Amino acid sequence: MQTFTYSRARSINELRAVQAATGDRILAGGTTLYDLMKLRIETPDRLVDVTGIAGLDEIISHPDELVFGALVTMSDAAAHPAVLQRAPVLAEALSKAASQQLRNMATLGGNLLQRTRCAYFRNGTEYPCNKRTPGSGCAALEGLDRGHALFGGSGSCIAVYPGDWAVALVALDAVVDVRGSRGTHTIDVASLHRLPGDTPHVETVLEPDEMILNIRVPVGRLAQASTYHKIRDRESYAFALVSAAVALELEEGFVRQARIALGGVATRPWRVPAAEAGLTGRRLDRATALEVGRMTFADARPGRHNGFKIALGAEAVADALMIAAQRSENR
Amino acid sequence: MNETIYPDRARIDALEKVLGRTRFAADIPLPRITHAMTVPSRIVRGRLAAIDIGAARAVDGVLAVLTWRDFTNAQSAGYLMGGGFGFQSHQPMLSDRLVHRGEPIALVVAETLEIAIEAAALVDARYEEEPFAALLEDERAEILAPQAGHAMGDAQAMLASAAFRVDAEYLSPAQYQNPMEMIATVAEWRDGTLTIHEGTQNSSAVKFGVAAALGLDSARVRVKSAYLGGGFGQKNSLQGQTVLAARAAILLGRPVKLVMPRAQLYHTASFRPASRHRIQLGADADGRIVAASYEADMQNSRADTFRASFSEITARLYSIPNYSSTARLVRTDVQSPGYMRAPFEHPAAFAFESAVDELAYATGRDPLAFRLNNDAETDPVTGDPFSSRFLAECLRTGADRFGWSERNPAPGSMRADDGTMIGWGVAVGAYKAAMAPAIARLRVRADGTTLLSVSGHEMGQGIRTAIFAALTEGLEIDPARIEIVIGDPDAAPQHLTAGSWGTASSVPVVRRAVETMQARFDALRDGRSVHGSIHQMLALWRRPYIEVETRLQAPGQPDAVFDRLQRGLPAAGGPEYKPFVSFSYIAHFVEVRVEPTTRRIRVLRVVSIVDCGRVVSPRTAESQVRGGVVWGIGAALRETAEIDPRFGGVLNNDLAEYVLPVNADIGAIEVGFIDQPDPMLNEAGVKGLGEVAMVGVAAAIGNAIFHATGRRLRQLPMRIEHLI
Repeated sequence: MQTFTYSRARSINELRAVQAATGDRILAGGTTLYDLMKLRIETPDRLVDVTGIAGLDEIISHPDELVFGALVTMSDAAAHPAVLQRAPVLAEALSKAASQQLRNMATLGGNLLQRTRCAYFRNGTEYPCNKRTPGSGCAALEGLDRGHALFGGSGSCIAVYPGDWAVALVALDAVVDVRGSRGTHTIDVASLHRLPGDTPHVETVLEPDEMILNIRVPVGRLAQASTYHKIRDRESYAFALVSAAVALELEEGFVRQARIALGGVATRPWRVPAAEAGLTGRRLDRATALEVGRMTFADARPGRHNGFKIALGAEAVADALMIAAQRSENR
Repeated sequence: MNETIYPDRARIDALEKVLGRTRFAADIPLPRITHAMTVPSRIVRGRLAAIDIGAARAVDGVLAVLTWRDFTNAQSAGYLMGGGFGFQSHQPMLSDRLVHRGEPIALVVAETLEIAIEAAALVDARYEEEPFAALLEDERAEILAPQAGHAMGDAQAMLASAAFRVDAEYLSPAQYQNPMEMIATVAEWRDGTLTIHEGTQNSSAVKFGVAAALGLDSARVRVKSAYLGGGFGQKNSLQGQTVLAARAAILLGRPVKLVMPRAQLYHTASFRPASRHRIQLGADADGRIVAASYEADMQNSRADTFRASFSEITARLYSIPNYSSTARLVRTDVQSPGYMRAPFEHPAAFAFESAVDELAYATGRDPLAFRLNNDAETDPVTGDPFSSRFLAECLRTGADRFGWSERNPAPGSMRADDGTMIGWGVAVGAYKAAMAPAIARLRVRADGTTLLSVSGHEMGQGIRTAIFAALTEGLEIDPARIEIVIGDPDAAPQHLTAGSWGTASSVPVVRRAVETMQARFDALRDGRSVHGSIHQMLALWRRPYIEVETRLQAPGQPDAVFDRLQRGLPAAGGPEYKPFVSFSYIAHFVEVRVEPTTRRIRVLRVVSIVDCGRVVSPRTAESQVRGGVVWGIGAALRETAEIDPRFGGVLNNDLAEYVLPVNADIGAIEVGFIDQPDPMLNEAGVKGLGEVAMVGVAAAIGNAIFHATGRRLRQLPMRIEHLI
């Protein structure tokens, strides 16, 4: 890690002033940024710590919306009664991520910006990686791609977006309120992350000086009958082999509305509208769920070692749908 | 004496450890200590064409940046298995020659660790790369001529005519140790004496190895290894880093601390090599195994010869009259592989015990009954008797505790209410019962204290607790004021603690010291009656202390082994002791649950019954078996290294990505001991435990998966993609 200058902002205005003057990088929980700095992937000269900014560490439960301050920790949000009750997909996405120690530190806003776990990205400049060193190539394309994307990849990059929380948010049509030199504006979480295309090093639509202030999630019947089903190489402390964020609105056994988003298999949080449409209006049983699960992976483009995720993912989506349906009935 | 039954007792250092008071090597506080960091090579094989240390040297707080030019008078201390002291013969930074990814090309020493890390990243190197082989199956790997193994009877002829046959290949990946305590050296040079603090299983090899490498008088090298935070074979000898840190301490005249980062340890310390195993078995119409053939390939480095001995146990698990084995070593461009808990026995038992299960099914017999029907009464290899063998008792006891009689033998036949597939599997394991020469010095003082110095290293396995048990079981001394000094060659000669011979080496010699002490005390007493402890009587008789020294070696070993002990060279004996053969045994029973949809594999419960001779420290022994079973679960279902043949090296080089089991992966583990002493092996009746604990776990899990699903998995780790 190289030497850097560290300061703390007490307010948004203070943050804005510091950024305008010296262009400091924003530091929140530090669980990703410090890690990447130790690996010398990130080499900021100046960091401004935003965790002291007041008013961004609350969860507010409105009748039709949950509002999460960007500085709420993952562990607090995962254990929040309103989140558990009104949008279990969110609580599960958080509690199945990382470890308790990391969840105690990591913030909800920072989590959205977590960078890929691609080993070639993380292991040093001797490995070609367009995300780390633009133009250097992609070692994963012909390499060990068990953990790489089946959706959204390009000839430049197939690195998976590793997070869980964003996948759940995308399933529920969440938005983020952002503040920066462009002023305050709102972005769909679904539009926050970019496809890699030819510029995989540009990962989001945020400007460098923009900070996520709030995450707002519409909640109603759909969010209540939801789940985050995560399949991984061990029972805890592992990134998803494949995960499914699913929400359902059922009417007498028939699907009125469905949401399906995938994690662990795409270059960004991945909604699958075609599968959602394919499920709408149908009576949900396991066979239908599996059919829709397979539909979810119809456009998958597997590499050399990750083809098994098509069958695995279809089953995971089907299981998730059945769990969500159960929650709809129990409501 | 061997009828002693040892009571349950807490680990004697447990409280200190829980409170964080135990000092491991990197915790040793020394005034003016400096911090070092290595710069790893970014190529696999070739030459360091140029190295620029200017930017690193210029960082404020950097004291020195060492390169190979600072080691021109140093030399390799040699390979442990070739008469030397190192885990490999290649000592980094002796020249510009580079032979494996990640080997240090420079050492930065600074006032703080942060400065050392920052400066290390600024060292700039230019390389001349050469082609290399990273994997066992790489076309540039060099396959050596087969080593001769066992050749009993005529295996090929008997296989050809057998009523039932199995012919299958099993794969085991390279695995890495990941001890909680990373390999760490604190080196101090003062008044012409070098002191090394390092968590090592072989303090003498470090002592003599550093002396040889740096041209020092070994009498002026002290090594302290009081505690290790896990030693599973990786810390069995001199590490390359120790020489680097020692040299830096001598040059700077200040203590140097070097804690290897975990990511670098995947490339700078030994590992379990990748291996493949072709097993052929034949059985007759009565379900007797008549023949076995075992052909193995095992990864090696280019320079050193780490021999494979997979058949040492598999030739003896059953009474198989016709048995042949060969092994080919495959040279690749890696650091030298080495011993990692049950180094050969774990992959061998996975392959062989999976094949035995396949053969049992082929004959239409219950896998438990099939095994019992093929038990050996004498050693099939030598024809000699076993000193003790309770493997059948392990199987029967385990089957009872597990409830094996409720098992429906048909694969895929057992289901939970929710459709979850249930599988019950069994497998056995064995591990040689070895002993190393040991010397114990025991001093009981009038002031109420006792000092015992003996060979042994505390890796967390509980050897201090076992030694304490042996010491206090026979002697009237104050148990609260005993100092046990181990891992210190200046206190008593230290032998490598490995190969599960720790307790069987330290405890018998301590018992002998206790008996000698008692005899000396009785002689001193001269018929007088005593009222009190030895301390009190010594005080009364105005004797400051009694000291005794005893020594013990493996059965049949000549006294010349003590010369090797004094010189820090391996001198363990076993498992063949004319005229008997000694092994520890284990039987594992496993229940797995396989999710019917996504095919996640879960180990619900394990019952493991062990024959390790007399159990000296029941609580730490049980803990050791649990740890072994956990490791077996990890080895079966989780652990694998991601190695891209284009680049070499391990890509998943941290605890987030190198998947070890977490608590949530581990179900119930029930441990039982036969606890029958083996008096032929030693007076304490102790065999070994640490490694046998994990032998056979992977096969039992694979066999259970077959029972659950009807799918036979022959590659480790067994993962979700193999069942979906």
